[in-house]
Amino acid sequence: MSQVEAVAPKFKLTLSRDVTDVAYRLLAVAIICVVLSIASDAFLTANNLLNVLRQASLVFFMASGLTLVILTGKIDLSIGATVGLSACVAATVIKSTGSPWLGAGAAIGIGAIVGLGNGLMVTKLRIPSFIATYGMLWVVQGATYYYMSGQSVYGFPAGFRALGSGYLLGIPIPVYLMVAFLIIGYFFTKRTTWGQQIYATGANTVAARLSGIPVNSRLNLVFILSGAMAGLASLIYLARLNSAEGDIGETLTLPTIAAVVIGGTSLFGGVGSLFGTFIGGLILTLILNGMNLVNMNANWQPLVTGVIVLLAVWLDMKTRSKTDG
Amino acid sequence: MKKAVLLVSILSIAGFAGPAFADGETIAVFTKNQTNPFFESVRIGAAAAAKANGVKIIQYIPVKPDSIPEQTSQVEDAIVKKPNALLFTPVDYKALVPAIEKVNAAGIPVTTLTDKLAGGQVVSFVGAEDFRLGYESGQSLMKALGGKGNVIALEGVKGTIGNTDRMAGFTKALKEAPNVKLLTQQPANYQRLQALQVMENIMQTHPQIDGVFTANDAMATGVVEAMAAANRKAIIASINGSQEAIDLIKAGKMHVTSSSDPFMQGCVGLLTTLRALRGLPVAKEILVTPYVIDSTNTKQYDVPVSSRVCPKIEEIASK
Amino acid sequence: MAQGMATLGRVPGVAFVLVALFAIFAAMSPGFSTAPNLSNILVQSSILLLLALPMTFIIMTEGLDLSIGAVLTLGSVVLASVAVSTGSLTIAFIAAVAIGLAFGLLNGWLIAWIDIPPFVTTLGTLGIAQGLCLVITDGTSIVGMPPSLHFFYSGTVLGIPFPLILAAVAYAVMHGILYHTRFGTYVPALGGNREALRHAGINDRRVLAIVYGIGGLMAGIGALLLTSRISSAHPTAAIGMEFDAIAAVAVGGTQFERGEGWLLGTLLGVVTIGVLRNGLNLLAMPSSIQVICVGLLVIVALFFDGVRKAHDS
Repeated sequence: MSQVEAVAPKFKLTLSRDVTDVAYRLLAVAIICVVLSIASDAFLTANNLLNVLRQASLVFFMASGLTLVILTGKIDLSIGATVGLSACVAATVIKSTGSPWLGAGAAIGIGAIVGLGNGLMVTKLRIPSFIATYGMLWVVQGATYYYMSGQSVYGFPAGFRALGSGYLLGIPIPVYLMVAFLIIGYFFTKRTTWGQQIYATGANTVAARLSGIPVNSRLNLVFILSGAMAGLASLIYLARLNSAEGDIGETLTLPTIAAVVIGGTSLFGGVGSLFGTFIGGLILTLILNGMNLVNMNANWQPLVTGVIVLLAVWLDMKTRSKTDG
Repeated sequence: MKKAVLLVSILSIAGFAGPAFADGETIAVFTKNQTNPFFESVRIGAAAAAKANGVKIIQYIPVKPDSIPEQTSQVEDAIVKKPNALLFTPVDYKALVPAIEKVNAAGIPVTTLTDKLAGGQVVSFVGAEDFRLGYESGQSLMKALGGKGNVIALEGVKGTIGNTDRMAGFTKALKEAPNVKLLTQQPANYQRLQALQVMENIMQTHPQIDGVFTANDAMATGVVEAMAAANRKAIIASINGSQEAIDLIKAGKMHVTSSSDPFMQGCVGLLTTLRALRGLPVAKEILVTPYVIDSTNTKQYDVPVSSRVCPKIEEIASK
Repeated sequence: MAQGMATLGRVPGVAFVLVALFAIFAAMSPGFSTAPNLSNILVQSSILLLLALPMTFIIMTEGLDLSIGAVLTLGSVVLASVAVSTGSLTIAFIAAVAIGLAFGLLNGWLIAWIDIPPFVTTLGTLGIAQGLCLVITDGTSIVGMPPSLHFFYSGTVLGIPFPLILAAVAYAVMHGILYHTRFGTYVPALGGNREALRHAGINDRRVLAIVYGIGGLMAGIGALLLTSRISSAHPTAAIGMEFDAIAAVAVGGTQFERGEGWLLGTLLGVVTIGVLRNGLNLLAMPSSIQVICVGLLVIVALFFDGVRKAHDS
């Protein structure tokens, strides 16, 4: 079959595509910013922009792991529930031991274990990822309810809190973390063999397998990373909110998927980037920020998000079919 | 082989339930969700009262928080089990009316708890006036502001009866303080993260915020964090009287919270249901006295729910 | 005939799970295997079945409809508001079905002609439908339904609950379409072999759009049951039901690839979910355990299928 040779050129195309994709998305962000700065004086202030970046960081951490999963053509619906469980366990660990490090280890460890479970269901039991992670969502959610039995845990050490609410040189600490992960993520996905294998797996799984890529290990890897990033996001959540409850993950999954999609990552796999996801999360955050600033009824938010999702993907397809010739 | 393992594992899970029948009355207790500490206190109160009176209770909690179809199904399932009575907190005060009409048709008495129903027949209602909670927390906020300043209000889920009444109470307190200006009122759906982010955004447009009213404690904690992160201060008033809010008041980060005493609601709700079952007179409506917690009286209310004591069945209001 | 043989040959894991659950609940809960309770389970499952049937078609085309729960809710909101403003249940029902169909066809158009992937399309329309629900109702419930609405969920015809009759008719029609019409043969081909369909001169886009349209239509019909069930409309009443529908289809043995689907399996999947929830309620299982069991059901049923697949190949 010609599929084997097809992988390489398709992959190259993806790289050049990313440049145009990013340019279009930055343009979209710029347009939103212009509109919002006309609508509200408070928008274009250093404070507000840092505020938006900090809010976007939470979305980014959840969405970055998910991006890797989606790049392989799979999906992870358990991400919000994983954030909830990780946050609740980490919160009790920090409370009982006083050590944020143990708490961080618990959060990321639980995330990674949930991710491994997802990965094994997909690779070993060959359950479609949509269904496997949906089942996992309920299992994790139930475990969280059981663990918390309707209570909340709150009040963490100041050193840990700085992770979410602290500043360094006037810039929020989670923003540094986000930038750091963006850079690491860029090198991981674009400059390492593993990263390229993730793209290749999504672009054409059969071809990837034929060309000797250990597809199952890479799939396990992305699910573990997705869970671990959800664990990390839960730490940012805890540090920002200073408290955890059983229900925190419930509303997080669909907006996270929306951020990845708006960021230009294709659900068929093989196309997209972490930087795109960063911008996707930024666009969603900007919209909410703008609605609050102009005092708009929050009931419109799902509708606006839905329209933007469709618009973003439609524009993607327009521009991509043009660049593809 | 694997099938056998599955059967055993399902059986072992099912083993949690224990025997379905016990001596004495069985009362089915419905609450809205298993995530809000408020309803956990309600359940603890109901369980304590049941234990003291030799009554068996079955707790029904929707798997999806506040899900209307699911609670409707649970009511239908409960009818099959034929409990002696229902102690019922509707997830929506209008949408659960048809379900309760079915309970009425089955001849099982219902007492509503926390939220009234817009229809159906009930033996009694046990709860608190959300309007009064909003009003008292609001009043305390206005007083602490010295009757002047700029305030923000964060609402819960729009359209729920509790939120509507709480906000109406707050609005009344606001009207009585003509020099206090409401800058904006926005929903944050009773959620911490949403309250945090909405507050962070609102702070950008309003450099001077003196007071914040939130319709529940979870949102208040989000506001506390948003304020602290921005190095700003405001007087924060809220509703629910959760342990978390009490601790924040003790730490000087929050001003006031008012409680409709969920533990007591659970106790009184169960005892009222039981009185009706045992042929004792019951009042049509019992309002548990709310209390306002600020820095002057935190000690009094800083008691874990599990160590509180229910009143005796004879002490419950009969008219 | 050959079709019947094929379906017998691959009884999905869900059938075993259903039998096992049934045996356990019947043994442990005295109220479970009574006629009123079994009827109760089926009536409760009727709305989900209305969504799961078209979802089977959609998944067979290698598609997905995340918007169907929100469209059902929107249908209910429209039905209730029109019923309140016009006083006519007929007009209200037509309006609900129309809005459902409109959303279904919008999905179909975006997917078939604009080529936006189903997941993204319906994620977008999910947001739009949910937003419309909130904006129309401003977050509150709509009440004041005409009393005649009550019949559609609670009424009986010849002693059979109306929702069961509606569900049975819907099943029969969908079964007929899938297995006894030419259109029905196109549906799996859309998933498994779209090129062949195109070569045969079939307008595959139109077929695809109709499949999504059926989904919206059924959601509109389901809105009648939902609104009748709660005598009102609530902007978040059936949000998330799309996932239950997808889970029922998957549990019932329909494959997410290659266009393999089995409508009877979907029926079994829906009933299994209903039986599980009902049984756990009757056993008074703690709610957190119930949550875990729902997840395990999905995984276990699919696990069986996975094992057999591995065995076959």
